[in-house]
Amino acid sequence: MYELVIIGGGPAGAAAGVYAARKRVKSLLITEGWGGQSEVSPDVQNWIGIKSISGIDLAQKIEEHVKAYAGDVLEFDEGSRVVEVKELVLASGSGGPKFTLVTNKGKKYETRSILVASGGRRRKLSVPGAETYDGKGIVYCATCDAPLFQGKEVVVIGGGNAGFESAQQLISYATKITLLEYAEEFRGDSVTREAVLKSKKVTPITNAESVEVKGEKFVTALVWKDRKTGETHELPVQGVFVEIGSIPNTEFLKGLVELNKYGEIILDHKTARTSREGIWAAGDATDQPYKQNNISMGDAVKALEDIYLWLQKKKSTT
Amino acid sequence: MAVTIYTTATCVYCRAAKKLFSEHNIAYTEKDVAQDAAARSEMIERSGQLGVPVIDVNGTVVVGFNEPKLRELLDIRG
Repeated sequence: MYELVIIGGGPAGAAAGVYAARKRVKSLLITEGWGGQSEVSPDVQNWIGIKSISGIDLAQKIEEHVKAYAGDVLEFDEGSRVVEVKELVLASGSGGPKFTLVTNKGKKYETRSILVASGGRRRKLSVPGAETYDGKGIVYCATCDAPLFQGKEVVVIGGGNAGFESAQQLISYATKITLLEYAEEFRGDSVTREAVLKSKKVTPITNAESVEVKGEKFVTALVWKDRKTGETHELPVQGVFVEIGSIPNTEFLKGLVELNKYGEIILDHKTARTSREGIWAAGDATDQPYKQNNISMGDAVKALEDIYLWLQKKKSTT
Repeated sequence: MAVTIYTTATCVYCRAAKKLFSEHNIAYTEKDVAQDAAARSEMIERSGQLGVPVIDVNGTVVVGFNEPKLRELLDIRG
């Protein structure tokens, strides 16, 4: 029986792991991998304390830091994903709640408390042709695949930070880059945005709704609609880079804790508690509005402080 | 056992696949498709795929870092 199970190995989960170990809370951290969604970022420039670092290197640093505490207090189950959580003993029962967790590999764990730091995953394009041409011109990892589009014309869907970062990487390879944003205005940090929009290769278009991906064996065009005029346009491209946000990894919590309409865990932001006693959450899986590494870490630490006090209180009353 | 992996230098899933190989002492050939145009055409033709990693294990082509599939093909247990 663990005192705490931490679900996730991104910035939030790792931060909680470090704090849990230092407070000697008997914990298990279950994660599929380390570093979270920034793992694919070519260059993270807002990680406080480090001016510039690649997503892969950041992931490695996070892993090294939390693993420095590996031992009898903090254990790991790596390469696993939690698929089910059940409350065994109700919070009102003797000694507070008790939970069981089951992983995709069939392992079962018992714990007194849970910190959900399961983060989010990439939202996929859902227009006609999107599935057919996934991996055949449609790309979800610009860092991985931008070099394959040497000398080609491409479109980036999504005018947030990730979209601008993808466009920035493509400038070195593609001959023409169209950047489409659904909303009235582009988002993203001004620094990256200005750098990208300076390039003569980049054509930015706002109020643009993607309608269809066309192709033969590989992608040949993207059809998009001007949301102001209603006109549709066919853009000849060989690559479609998709950066349209993320979806919270919370499916395994349905019915157990309250989620909002986006599937994000609804939190009491002062304590990071969910609607169910014994379960806390932090990071991109929650309804905290700004999805940032630094925030996820801080929020996980805040949760851990509250978990620690809660566990101490349970111990003193039983 | 002949293993070839098509990669780009910045691909994190390629790195994860290579780590799996190294951990289990599996020798592999790496082809960087960002640098090597011939390897790029070869990969696209063989896999019908415009994305890395593509991994060839004894003639069977695996697209992406599909760990369960790779473990099965490479007979990695545990």
